[in-house]
Amino acid sequence: MAKRLEDRQPRGPRVSPIAWAIGPALLLFVLFFVLPFGAMALLSFLSGNPVANPNVSFTTRHYERFFADSLYFEALISTLRIGVITTFFSLLIGYPLAHWMARIHSRTGHALLLMAVIAPMLTGVVVRTFAWMTLLQDQGVINVALMDWGITDQPLKLMYNELGTIVALVHIYVPFLVLTLTGVIGRIDERLEQAARSLGANQLRAFIEVTLPLSLPGILAGSLLVFALSISAYVTPFLLGGTDVLTLPMLIYQQVAASFNLGFAGALGVVLLAVSLVVVITYNKVLGHFAGGEKMA
Amino acid sequence: MRRRKYNLGNAIYFTMNGAILAFLLAPIAIITVFALNSAPYISFPPTGFTLGWFSKFFSSPEFMNAFALSLQVAAAVLILSMLIGGLCALALARGNLPGNRVLTAFFMSPLMLPAILTGLALFQIYLLMGIGRPIWGLIMGHTLVAVPYVLRTTLAVLHNFDRKIEEAAAIHGAPPARVFFEITLPLIRPGVLAGGIFAFIVSFDQFPISLFLVAPGGETLPVVLFNYMKFDLDGAIAAASMVSILMAIAVVVLLEKVIGLKAYVKL
Repeated sequence: MAKRLEDRQPRGPRVSPIAWAIGPALLLFVLFFVLPFGAMALLSFLSGNPVANPNVSFTTRHYERFFADSLYFEALISTLRIGVITTFFSLLIGYPLAHWMARIHSRTGHALLLMAVIAPMLTGVVVRTFAWMTLLQDQGVINVALMDWGITDQPLKLMYNELGTIVALVHIYVPFLVLTLTGVIGRIDERLEQAARSLGANQLRAFIEVTLPLSLPGILAGSLLVFALSISAYVTPFLLGGTDVLTLPMLIYQQVAASFNLGFAGALGVVLLAVSLVVVITYNKVLGHFAGGEKMA
Repeated sequence: MRRRKYNLGNAIYFTMNGAILAFLLAPIAIITVFALNSAPYISFPPTGFTLGWFSKFFSSPEFMNAFALSLQVAAAVLILSMLIGGLCALALARGNLPGNRVLTAFFMSPLMLPAILTGLALFQIYLLMGIGRPIWGLIMGHTLVAVPYVLRTTLAVLHNFDRKIEEAAAIHGAPPARVFFEITLPLIRPGVLAGGIFAFIVSFDQFPISLFLVAPGGETLPVVLFNYMKFDLDGAIAAASMVSILMAIAVVVLLEKVIGLKAYVKL
Protein backbone atom coordinates (compact mmCIF):
# COMPACT_ATOMS: atom_id res chain seq x y z
CA MET A 1 0.00 0.00 0.00
CA ALA A 2 2.72 2.42 1.01
CA LYS A 3 4.59 1.45 -2.10
CA ARG A 4 1.67 2.27 -4.32
CA LEU A 5 1.15 5.63 -2.59
CA GLU A 6 4.76 6.43 -3.29
CA ASP A 7 4.28 5.73 -6.96
CA ARG A 8 1.40 8.17 -7.11
CA GLN A 9 3.42 10.91 -5.43
CA PRO A 10 5.96 12.22 -7.89
CA ARG A 11 6.90 15.24 -5.75
CA GLY A 12 7.71 13.61 -2.45
CA PRO A 13 7.98 10.11 -1.24
CA ARG A 14 6.43 10.25 2.23
CA VAL A 15 3.55 12.05 3.87
CA SER A 16 5.37 14.68 5.88
CA PRO A 17 4.48 15.67 9.47
CA ILE A 18 3.43 19.06 8.08
CA ALA A 19 0.34 17.27 6.78
CA TRP A 20 -1.10 17.49 10.32
CA ALA A 21 -1.51 21.22 9.77
CA ILE A 22 -4.59 20.33 7.75
CA GLY A 23 -6.31 19.35 11.02
CA PRO A 24 -8.03 22.63 11.99
CA ALA A 25 -9.33 23.17 8.47
CA LEU A 26 -10.60 19.61 8.28
CA LEU A 27 -12.34 19.98 11.63
CA LEU A 28 -13.94 23.26 10.57
CA PHE A 29 -15.12 21.82 7.27
CA VAL A 30 -16.50 18.62 8.75
CA LEU A 31 -18.37 20.36 11.56
CA PHE A 32 -19.58 23.45 9.72
CA PHE A 33 -19.81 22.30 6.13
CA VAL A 34 -20.20 18.54 5.63
CA LEU A 35 -22.42 17.89 8.66
CA PRO A 36 -24.76 20.85 8.03
CA PHE A 37 -25.22 19.90 4.39
CA GLY A 38 -25.86 16.35 5.54
CA ALA A 39 -28.48 17.64 7.96
CA MET A 40 -30.06 19.66 5.19
CA ALA A 41 -30.27 16.59 2.95
CA LEU A 42 -31.63 14.50 5.84
CA LEU A 43 -34.31 17.05 6.73
CA SER A 44 -35.45 17.13 3.12
CA PHE A 45 -36.44 13.46 3.47
CA LEU A 46 -38.15 13.79 6.87
CA SER A 47 -41.82 14.50 7.47
CA GLY A 48 -41.07 17.04 10.18
CA ASN A 49 -38.53 18.47 12.58
CA PRO A 50 -37.11 15.52 14.56
CA VAL A 51 -36.32 17.75 17.55
CA ALA A 52 -39.81 19.12 17.98
CA ASN A 53 -41.62 15.97 16.94
CA PRO A 54 -40.29 12.50 17.83
CA ASN A 55 -42.66 10.69 15.44
CA VAL A 56 -41.10 11.80 12.20
CA SER A 57 -40.85 9.39 9.30
CA PHE A 58 -39.01 9.27 6.03
CA THR A 59 -40.89 10.75 3.13
CA THR A 60 -40.32 11.98 -0.41
CA ARG A 61 -43.25 14.35 -0.25
CA HIS A 62 -41.11 17.50 -0.29
CA TYR A 63 -39.65 16.43 -3.61
CA GLU A 64 -43.05 15.37 -4.92
CA ARG A 65 -44.34 18.81 -4.03
CA PHE A 66 -41.46 20.42 -5.92
CA PHE A 67 -42.19 18.50 -9.09
CA ALA A 68 -45.98 18.57 -8.77
CA ASP A 69 -46.42 22.31 -8.45
CA SER A 70 -45.39 24.19 -11.58
CA LEU A 71 -44.62 27.30 -9.48
CA TYR A 72 -41.54 25.64 -8.02
CA PHE A 73 -40.37 24.10 -11.23
CA GLU A 74 -40.75 27.45 -12.97
CA ALA A 75 -38.66 29.05 -10.22
CA LEU A 76 -35.90 26.56 -11.03
CA ILE A 77 -36.19 27.34 -14.73
CA SER A 78 -36.11 31.10 -14.16
CA THR A 79 -33.12 30.72 -11.82
CA LEU A 80 -31.25 28.85 -14.54
CA ARG A 81 -32.38 31.29 -17.24
CA ILE A 82 -31.19 34.30 -15.22
CA GLY A 83 -27.90 32.45 -14.62
CA VAL A 84 -27.37 31.75 -18.32
CA ILE A 85 -28.24 35.28 -19.48
CA THR A 86 -26.09 36.83 -16.73
CA THR A 87 -23.18 34.60 -17.71
CA PHE A 88 -23.55 35.44 -21.40
CA PHE A 89 -23.48 39.20 -20.86
CA SER A 90 -20.71 38.97 -18.28
CA LEU A 91 -18.63 37.18 -20.87
CA LEU A 92 -19.50 39.75 -23.51
CA ILE A 93 -18.32 42.70 -21.42
CA GLY A 94 -15.74 40.84 -19.37
CA TYR A 95 -13.69 39.54 -22.26
CA PRO A 96 -12.57 42.90 -23.74
CA LEU A 97 -11.60 44.20 -20.31
CA ALA A 98 -9.69 41.02 -19.46
CA HIS A 99 -7.90 41.18 -22.81
CA TRP A 100 -6.88 44.78 -22.19
CA MET A 101 -5.71 43.96 -18.68
CA ALA A 102 -3.67 40.99 -19.86
CA ARG A 103 -2.04 42.91 -22.70
CA ILE A 104 -1.44 46.35 -21.17
CA HIS A 105 2.28 47.05 -20.89
CA SER A 106 2.31 49.85 -18.36
CA ARG A 107 2.63 48.53 -14.81
CA THR A 108 0.70 51.46 -13.36
CA GLY A 109 -2.02 50.97 -15.93
CA HIS A 110 -2.26 47.31 -15.03
CA ALA A 111 -2.46 48.07 -11.31
CA LEU A 112 -5.13 50.73 -11.85
CA LEU A 113 -7.24 48.41 -13.99
CA LEU A 114 -6.95 45.70 -11.35
CA MET A 115 -8.11 48.18 -8.72
CA ALA A 116 -11.04 49.19 -10.91
CA VAL A 117 -12.09 45.55 -11.13
CA ILE A 118 -11.38 44.45 -7.57
CA ALA A 119 -12.78 47.48 -5.70
CA PRO A 120 -16.35 46.89 -6.96
CA MET A 121 -15.92 43.18 -6.22
CA LEU A 122 -15.10 43.95 -2.59
CA THR A 123 -18.15 46.18 -2.22
CA GLY A 124 -21.02 44.23 -0.71
CA VAL A 125 -23.91 42.86 -2.79
CA VAL A 126 -26.40 44.85 -0.75
CA VAL A 127 -24.55 48.09 -1.51
CA ARG A 128 -24.22 47.31 -5.20
CA THR A 129 -27.87 46.34 -5.48
CA PHE A 130 -28.74 49.64 -3.81
CA ALA A 131 -26.58 51.45 -6.39
CA TRP A 132 -28.58 49.86 -9.19
CA MET A 133 -31.86 50.79 -7.53
CA THR A 134 -30.80 54.46 -7.56
CA LEU A 135 -30.00 54.13 -11.26
CA LEU A 136 -32.96 52.08 -12.45
CA GLN A 137 -35.97 53.24 -10.42
CA ASP A 138 -38.65 55.52 -11.89
CA GLN A 139 -37.02 58.62 -10.37
CA GLY A 140 -33.60 57.09 -10.92
CA VAL A 141 -30.66 58.55 -12.77
CA ILE A 142 -31.32 56.78 -16.07
CA ASN A 143 -35.03 57.52 -16.30
CA VAL A 144 -34.60 61.17 -15.28
CA ALA A 145 -31.87 61.63 -17.87
CA LEU A 146 -33.93 59.95 -20.60
CA MET A 147 -36.93 62.15 -19.81
CA ASP A 148 -34.81 65.32 -19.64
CA TRP A 149 -33.39 64.62 -23.07
CA GLY A 150 -36.90 64.05 -24.37
CA ILE A 151 -36.23 60.45 -25.34
CA THR A 152 -39.21 59.18 -23.36
CA ASP A 153 -42.24 60.87 -21.83
CA GLN A 154 -42.66 58.55 -18.92
CA PRO A 155 -40.20 56.42 -16.95
CA LEU A 156 -39.27 53.10 -18.50
CA LYS A 157 -39.77 50.02 -16.36
CA LEU A 158 -36.13 49.24 -15.75
CA MET A 159 -36.48 47.42 -12.45
CA TYR A 160 -38.87 45.14 -10.61
CA ASN A 161 -38.37 42.77 -13.51
CA GLU A 162 -35.82 40.34 -14.92
CA LEU A 163 -34.05 43.08 -16.89
CA GLY A 164 -33.02 45.05 -13.80
CA THR A 165 -32.04 41.87 -12.00
CA ILE A 166 -29.77 40.73 -14.80
CA VAL A 167 -28.12 44.12 -15.31
CA ALA A 168 -27.18 44.27 -11.64
CA LEU A 169 -26.09 40.62 -11.51
CA VAL A 170 -23.79 41.17 -14.49
CA HIS A 171 -22.26 44.14 -12.67
CA ILE A 172 -21.83 42.13 -9.48
CA TYR A 173 -20.28 38.99 -10.97
CA VAL A 174 -18.33 40.22 -14.01
CA PRO A 175 -15.17 40.92 -11.93
CA PHE A 176 -14.85 37.19 -11.18
CA LEU A 177 -14.91 36.46 -14.90
CA VAL A 178 -12.45 39.23 -15.71
CA LEU A 179 -9.93 37.94 -13.17
CA THR A 180 -10.19 34.34 -14.40
CA LEU A 181 -9.87 35.38 -18.04
CA THR A 182 -7.00 37.81 -17.44
CA GLY A 183 -4.91 35.00 -16.00
CA VAL A 184 -5.57 32.74 -18.98
CA ILE A 185 -5.12 35.40 -21.66
CA GLY A 186 -1.97 36.61 -19.91
CA ARG A 187 -0.40 33.18 -20.32
CA ILE A 188 -1.00 33.17 -24.09
CA ASP A 189 2.21 34.23 -25.81
CA GLU A 190 1.58 37.60 -27.42
CA ARG A 191 4.03 36.72 -30.16
CA LEU A 192 1.61 34.14 -31.53
CA GLU A 193 -0.80 36.91 -32.41
CA GLN A 194 2.03 39.02 -33.82
CA ALA A 195 3.13 36.07 -35.95
CA ALA A 196 -0.39 35.73 -37.34
CA ARG A 197 -0.39 39.43 -38.15
CA SER A 198 2.98 39.32 -39.85
CA LEU A 199 1.61 36.49 -41.99
CA GLY A 200 -1.07 38.88 -43.22
CA ALA A 201 -3.97 38.46 -40.82
CA ASN A 202 -5.54 41.69 -39.65
CA GLN A 203 -5.95 42.43 -35.94
CA LEU A 204 -9.45 41.02 -35.73
CA ARG A 205 -8.63 37.83 -37.61
CA ALA A 206 -5.47 37.27 -35.56
CA PHE A 207 -7.59 37.62 -32.43
CA ILE A 208 -10.38 35.31 -33.62
CA GLU A 209 -8.07 32.61 -34.94
CA VAL A 210 -5.30 32.70 -32.34
CA THR A 211 -6.12 34.34 -29.03
CA LEU A 212 -9.80 33.47 -28.78
CA PRO A 213 -9.42 29.69 -29.20
CA LEU A 214 -6.43 29.63 -26.83
CA SER A 215 -8.43 31.45 -24.17
CA LEU A 216 -11.26 28.92 -24.31
CA PRO A 217 -10.38 27.31 -20.94
CA GLY A 218 -10.63 30.75 -19.30
CA ILE A 219 -13.95 31.40 -21.01
CA LEU A 220 -15.28 28.09 -19.79
CA ALA A 221 -13.97 28.32 -16.22
CA GLY A 222 -15.00 31.97 -15.82
CA SER A 223 -18.47 31.31 -17.22
CA LEU A 224 -19.04 28.37 -14.90
CA LEU A 225 -17.94 30.50 -11.95
CA VAL A 226 -20.30 33.35 -12.84
CA PHE A 227 -23.14 30.89 -13.48
CA ALA A 228 -22.62 29.20 -10.11
CA LEU A 229 -22.60 32.58 -8.34
CA SER A 230 -25.60 34.05 -10.13
CA ILE A 231 -27.93 31.07 -9.58
CA SER A 232 -27.36 31.46 -5.85
CA ALA A 233 -28.03 35.22 -5.72
CA TYR A 234 -30.68 36.29 -3.24
CA VAL A 235 -30.50 40.05 -2.53
CA THR A 236 -30.45 41.24 -6.13
CA PRO A 237 -33.42 39.27 -7.49
CA PHE A 238 -35.32 40.05 -4.29
CA LEU A 239 -34.83 43.82 -4.43
CA LEU A 240 -34.61 44.37 -8.18
CA GLY A 241 -36.91 41.60 -9.36
CA GLY A 242 -39.94 42.68 -7.40
CA THR A 243 -42.92 40.41 -7.88
CA ASP A 244 -41.85 39.56 -11.43
CA VAL A 245 -38.92 37.39 -10.44
CA LEU A 246 -38.99 34.29 -8.28
CA THR A 247 -35.78 32.31 -8.01
CA LEU A 248 -34.84 29.23 -6.03
CA PRO A 249 -32.82 31.12 -3.38
CA MET A 250 -35.79 33.45 -2.83
CA LEU A 251 -38.11 30.46 -2.42
CA ILE A 252 -35.69 28.83 0.00
CA TYR A 253 -35.53 31.80 2.33
CA GLN A 254 -39.28 32.28 2.08
CA GLN A 255 -39.84 28.66 3.15
CA VAL A 256 -37.69 29.22 6.24
CA ALA A 257 -38.72 32.72 7.25
CA ALA A 258 -42.41 32.77 6.32
CA SER A 259 -43.55 29.14 6.34
CA PHE A 260 -40.91 27.64 8.62
CA ASN A 261 -41.05 24.51 6.45
CA LEU A 262 -37.51 23.24 6.97
CA GLY A 263 -38.10 20.01 5.09
CA PHE A 264 -39.30 21.69 1.96
CA ALA A 265 -36.57 24.37 2.24
CA GLY A 266 -34.11 21.48 2.49
CA ALA A 267 -35.53 19.82 -0.61
CA LEU A 268 -35.26 23.08 -2.56
CA GLY A 269 -31.74 23.40 -1.21
CA VAL A 270 -30.82 19.92 -2.39
CA VAL A 271 -32.12 20.73 -5.89
CA LEU A 272 -30.04 23.94 -6.02
CA LEU A 273 -27.07 22.08 -4.56
CA ALA A 274 -27.34 19.37 -7.22
CA VAL A 275 -27.21 21.98 -9.99
CA SER A 276 -24.26 23.74 -8.31
CA LEU A 277 -22.34 20.53 -7.78
CA VAL A 278 -22.56 19.69 -11.47
CA VAL A 279 -21.21 23.17 -12.23
CA VAL A 280 -18.44 22.98 -9.61
CA ILE A 281 -17.28 19.53 -10.70
CA THR A 282 -17.22 20.61 -14.34
CA TYR A 283 -15.27 23.72 -13.31
CA ASN A 284 -12.66 21.66 -11.50
CA LYS A 285 -12.41 19.27 -14.46
CA VAL A 286 -11.86 22.20 -16.80
CA LEU A 287 -9.17 23.69 -14.59
CA GLY A 288 -7.57 20.29 -14.00
CA HIS A 289 -7.63 19.39 -17.67
CA PHE A 290 -6.05 22.60 -18.88
CA ALA A 291 -3.62 22.98 -16.03
CA GLY A 292 -2.24 19.51 -16.71
CA GLY A 293 -0.71 18.11 -13.58
CA GLU A 294 -0.07 21.53 -12.12
CA LYS A 295 -1.99 22.43 -8.97
CA MET A 296 -4.45 25.24 -9.27
CA ALA A 297 -4.15 27.89 -6.61
CA MET B 1 4.56 47.89 -32.03
CA ARG B 2 1.89 48.04 -34.67
CA ARG B 3 -0.77 48.18 -31.98
CA ARG B 4 0.14 51.77 -31.06
CA LYS B 5 -0.69 53.00 -34.58
CA TYR B 6 -4.06 54.71 -34.73
CA ASN B 7 -6.68 52.69 -36.54
CA LEU B 8 -10.36 51.98 -36.37
CA GLY B 9 -9.84 48.67 -34.58
CA ASN B 10 -7.97 50.34 -31.74
CA ALA B 11 -10.53 53.12 -31.50
CA ILE B 12 -13.34 50.57 -31.11
CA TYR B 13 -11.27 48.52 -28.67
CA PHE B 14 -10.59 51.40 -26.32
CA THR B 15 -14.06 52.95 -26.59
CA MET B 16 -15.58 49.61 -25.73
CA ASN B 17 -13.25 49.14 -22.76
CA GLY B 18 -13.90 52.70 -21.59
CA ALA B 19 -17.63 51.98 -21.62
CA ILE B 20 -17.11 48.73 -19.69
CA LEU B 21 -15.01 50.51 -17.06
CA ALA B 22 -17.73 53.15 -16.75
CA PHE B 23 -20.33 50.39 -16.29
CA LEU B 24 -18.19 48.91 -13.51
CA LEU B 25 -17.40 52.13 -11.68
CA ALA B 26 -20.23 54.61 -12.32
CA PRO B 27 -22.84 52.81 -10.19
CA ILE B 28 -20.44 52.89 -7.25
CA ALA B 29 -19.49 56.51 -7.82
CA ILE B 30 -23.11 57.65 -8.13
CA ILE B 31 -23.75 56.63 -4.51
CA THR B 32 -21.65 59.65 -3.44
CA VAL B 33 -24.25 61.93 -5.03
CA PHE B 34 -27.09 60.39 -3.01
CA ALA B 35 -25.13 60.33 0.23
CA LEU B 36 -24.69 64.12 -0.03
CA ASN B 37 -28.05 65.02 -1.57
CA SER B 38 -30.45 66.81 0.75
CA ALA B 39 -33.67 65.42 -0.83
CA PRO B 40 -35.62 63.28 1.66
CA TYR B 41 -35.67 60.28 -0.70
CA ILE B 42 -33.33 58.94 -3.30
CA SER B 43 -34.07 61.11 -6.31
CA PHE B 44 -32.23 62.61 -9.20
CA PRO B 45 -31.01 65.25 -9.98
CA PRO B 46 -29.70 66.30 -6.54
CA THR B 47 -31.43 69.25 -4.94
CA GLY B 48 -28.91 70.41 -2.36
CA PHE B 49 -25.89 69.52 -0.27
CA THR B 50 -26.02 67.95 3.18
CA LEU B 51 -23.91 65.89 5.52
CA GLY B 52 -27.07 64.99 7.41
CA TRP B 53 -27.22 61.43 6.10
CA PHE B 54 -23.79 60.67 7.48
CA SER B 55 -24.75 62.06 10.88
CA LYS B 56 -27.97 60.04 10.72
CA PHE B 57 -25.95 56.90 10.02
CA PHE B 58 -23.33 57.54 12.68
CA SER B 59 -25.84 58.58 15.35
CA SER B 60 -28.38 55.81 14.79
CA PRO B 61 -27.95 53.11 17.43
CA GLU B 62 -29.47 50.55 15.05
CA PHE B 63 -26.86 51.22 12.36
CA MET B 64 -24.01 51.67 14.82
CA ASN B 65 -24.67 48.42 16.72
CA ALA B 66 -24.80 46.56 13.42
CA PHE B 67 -21.63 48.28 12.21
CA ALA B 68 -19.80 47.39 15.41
CA LEU B 69 -20.99 43.78 15.25
CA SER B 70 -19.93 43.48 11.61
CA LEU B 71 -16.47 44.82 12.46
CA GLN B 72 -16.10 42.43 15.41
CA VAL B 73 -17.19 39.41 13.41
CA ALA B 74 -14.89 40.41 10.54
CA ALA B 75 -11.95 40.81 12.94
CA ALA B 76 -12.56 37.36 14.41
CA VAL B 77 -12.86 35.89 10.92
CA LEU B 78 -9.61 37.59 9.91
CA ILE B 79 -7.70 35.87 12.72
CA LEU B 80 -9.39 32.47 12.45
CA SER B 81 -9.15 32.23 8.69
CA MET B 82 -5.47 33.24 8.71
CA LEU B 83 -4.67 30.53 11.23
CA ILE B 84 -6.78 27.78 9.73
CA GLY B 85 -6.19 28.70 6.09
CA GLY B 86 -2.47 29.32 6.54
CA LEU B 87 -1.92 25.94 8.21
CA CYS B 88 -4.09 24.21 5.65
CA ALA B 89 -2.11 25.75 2.79
CA LEU B 90 1.15 24.54 4.36
CA ALA B 91 -0.23 21.03 4.67
CA LEU B 92 -1.46 21.02 1.09
CA ALA B 93 1.74 22.42 -0.38
CA ARG B 94 4.33 20.69 1.80
CA GLY B 95 2.59 17.72 3.41
CA ASN B 96 2.83 15.29 0.46
CA LEU B 97 -0.76 14.33 1.15
CA PRO B 98 -2.40 11.79 -1.09
CA GLY B 99 -5.37 13.17 -3.00
CA ASN B 100 -4.00 16.69 -2.83
CA ARG B 101 -5.98 17.97 -5.81
CA VAL B 102 -9.29 16.68 -4.48
CA LEU B 103 -8.56 18.13 -1.03
CA THR B 104 -7.73 21.52 -2.50
CA ALA B 105 -10.93 21.51 -4.55
CA PHE B 106 -12.86 20.51 -1.42
CA PHE B 107 -11.44 23.36 0.66
CA MET B 108 -12.12 25.84 -2.16
CA SER B 109 -15.69 24.65 -2.71
CA PRO B 110 -17.47 27.04 -0.28
CA LEU B 111 -16.65 29.78 -2.80
CA MET B 112 -18.65 28.17 -5.57
CA LEU B 113 -21.41 26.39 -3.71
CA PRO B 114 -24.31 28.75 -3.03
CA ALA B 115 -23.58 30.68 0.17
CA ILE B 116 -27.31 30.84 0.80
CA LEU B 117 -27.27 27.03 1.13
CA THR B 118 -24.37 27.20 3.56
CA GLY B 119 -26.53 29.61 5.55
CA LEU B 120 -29.57 27.35 5.36
CA ALA B 121 -27.59 24.22 6.24
CA LEU B 122 -25.92 25.88 9.24
CA PHE B 123 -29.26 27.27 10.38
CA GLN B 124 -30.78 23.80 10.21
CA ILE B 125 -28.01 22.03 12.08
CA TYR B 126 -27.88 24.71 14.79
CA LEU B 127 -31.61 24.26 15.17
CA LEU B 128 -31.38 20.47 15.30
CA MET B 129 -28.69 20.66 17.94
CA GLY B 130 -30.53 23.29 19.94
CA ILE B 131 -27.65 25.75 19.64
CA GLY B 132 -29.79 28.71 18.63
CA ARG B 133 -28.10 31.62 16.89
CA PRO B 134 -24.98 32.54 18.87
CA ILE B 135 -22.40 34.96 17.48
CA TRP B 136 -19.76 32.22 17.35
CA GLY B 137 -22.05 30.27 15.04
CA LEU B 138 -22.12 33.25 12.69
CA ILE B 139 -18.33 33.65 12.95
CA MET B 140 -17.76 29.98 12.06
CA GLY B 141 -20.06 30.31 9.05
CA HIS B 142 -18.13 33.35 7.84
CA THR B 143 -14.79 31.67 8.53
CA LEU B 144 -15.83 28.72 6.40
CA VAL B 145 -16.28 30.93 3.33
CA ALA B 146 -13.22 33.05 4.18
CA VAL B 147 -10.69 30.20 4.54
CA PRO B 148 -10.59 29.56 0.75
CA TYR B 149 -9.33 33.12 0.16
CA VAL B 150 -6.45 32.68 2.60
CA LEU B 151 -5.77 29.26 1.14
CA ARG B 152 -5.56 30.63 -2.37
CA THR B 153 -3.17 33.51 -1.69
CA THR B 154 -0.98 31.40 0.60
CA LEU B 155 -0.83 28.49 -1.86
CA ALA B 156 0.06 30.97 -4.63
CA VAL B 157 2.97 32.27 -2.54
CA LEU B 158 4.07 28.74 -1.58
CA HIS B 159 4.09 27.60 -5.18
CA ASN B 160 6.00 30.67 -6.26
CA PHE B 161 8.97 30.38 -3.97
CA ASP B 162 11.61 27.82 -4.53
CA ARG B 163 11.41 24.86 -2.24
CA LYS B 164 15.19 24.53 -2.52
CA ILE B 165 15.58 27.48 -0.14
CA GLU B 166 14.02 25.37 2.60
CA GLU B 167 16.00 22.31 1.54
CA ALA B 168 19.23 24.30 1.57
CA ALA B 169 18.57 25.44 5.13
CA ALA B 170 17.82 21.86 6.16
CA ILE B 171 20.95 20.53 4.51
CA HIS B 172 23.02 23.09 6.38
CA GLY B 173 21.71 21.63 9.60
CA ALA B 174 18.72 23.75 10.52
CA PRO B 175 16.14 21.68 12.40
CA PRO B 176 12.64 21.62 10.85
CA ALA B 177 11.27 24.11 13.37
CA ARG B 178 14.00 26.60 12.57
CA VAL B 179 13.48 26.15 8.83
CA PHE B 180 9.80 26.86 9.38
CA PHE B 181 10.22 29.96 11.53
CA GLU B 182 13.16 31.48 9.69
CA ILE B 183 12.42 30.58 6.08
CA THR B 184 8.89 29.37 5.44
CA LEU B 185 6.96 31.66 7.75
CA PRO B 186 8.53 34.96 6.62
CA LEU B 187 8.06 33.91 3.00
CA ILE B 188 4.39 33.02 3.28
CA ARG B 189 3.49 35.91 5.58
CA PRO B 190 2.37 38.28 2.78
CA GLY B 191 0.14 35.56 1.32
CA VAL B 192 -1.48 34.77 4.65
CA LEU B 193 -1.88 38.45 5.48
CA ALA B 194 -3.38 39.32 2.10
CA GLY B 195 -5.77 36.39 2.44
CA GLY B 196 -6.72 37.60 5.92
CA ILE B 197 -7.42 41.13 4.70
CA PHE B 198 -9.55 39.66 1.94
CA ALA B 199 -11.32 37.47 4.49
CA PHE B 200 -12.02 40.56 6.62
CA ILE B 201 -13.82 42.43 3.84
CA VAL B 202 -15.61 39.28 2.66
CA SER B 203 -16.96 38.77 6.17
CA PHE B 204 -17.84 42.46 6.54
CA ASP B 205 -19.89 42.30 3.33
CA GLN B 206 -21.22 38.77 3.84
CA PHE B 207 -24.96 38.62 3.38
CA PRO B 208 -26.58 35.23 2.62
CA ILE B 209 -25.05 33.31 5.54
CA SER B 210 -25.74 36.15 7.96
CA LEU B 211 -29.35 36.33 6.77
CA PHE B 212 -29.97 32.88 8.24
CA LEU B 213 -27.71 33.07 11.28
CA VAL B 214 -28.23 36.48 12.87
CA ALA B 215 -30.46 36.69 15.90
CA PRO B 216 -33.22 39.32 15.93
CA GLY B 217 -31.76 42.54 17.31
CA GLY B 218 -28.23 41.30 16.62
CA GLU B 219 -28.03 41.78 12.85
CA THR B 220 -24.89 42.59 10.91
CA LEU B 221 -24.71 45.79 8.87
CA PRO B 222 -25.57 44.25 5.46
CA VAL B 223 -28.67 42.60 6.96
CA VAL B 224 -29.77 45.85 8.61
CA LEU B 225 -29.25 47.73 5.34
CA PHE B 226 -31.21 45.09 3.44
CA ASN B 227 -34.12 45.21 5.87
CA TYR B 228 -34.11 49.02 5.75
CA MET B 229 -34.06 49.03 1.94
CA LYS B 230 -37.14 46.84 1.78
CA PHE B 231 -39.18 49.77 3.08
CA ASP B 232 -37.14 52.94 2.76
CA LEU B 233 -34.76 54.21 0.17
CA ASP B 234 -33.10 57.32 1.52
CA GLY B 235 -29.71 58.94 1.93
CA ALA B 236 -28.91 57.03 5.10
CA ILE B 237 -28.45 53.90 2.99
CA ALA B 238 -26.24 55.88 0.63
CA ALA B 239 -24.13 57.14 3.54
CA ALA B 240 -23.78 53.61 4.94
CA SER B 241 -22.87 52.41 1.47
CA MET B 242 -20.18 55.09 1.21
CA VAL B 243 -18.59 53.79 4.40
CA SER B 244 -18.60 50.30 2.95
CA ILE B 245 -17.16 51.48 -0.38
CA LEU B 246 -14.38 53.44 1.33
CA MET B 247 -13.47 50.29 3.25
CA ALA B 248 -13.34 48.32 -0.01
CA ILE B 249 -11.04 50.94 -1.54
CA ALA B 250 -8.81 50.94 1.55
CA VAL B 251 -8.58 47.15 1.34
CA VAL B 252 -7.68 47.24 -2.36
CA VAL B 253 -4.88 49.73 -1.71
CA LEU B 254 -3.68 47.66 1.25
CA LEU B 255 -3.69 44.44 -0.78
CA GLU B 256 -1.73 46.11 -3.57
CA LYS B 257 0.89 47.10 -0.97
CA VAL B 258 1.00 43.74 0.86
CA ILE B 259 1.08 41.26 -2.00
CA GLY B 260 0.22 43.08 -5.21
CA LEU B 261 -3.21 42.67 -6.72
CA LYS B 262 -1.72 40.45 -9.40
CA ALA B 263 -2.06 37.54 -6.98
CA TYR B 264 -5.81 37.74 -7.52
CA VAL B 265 -5.64 37.35 -11.26
CA LYS B 266 -5.93 33.59 -10.97
CA LEU B 267 -9.16 33.86 -9.00
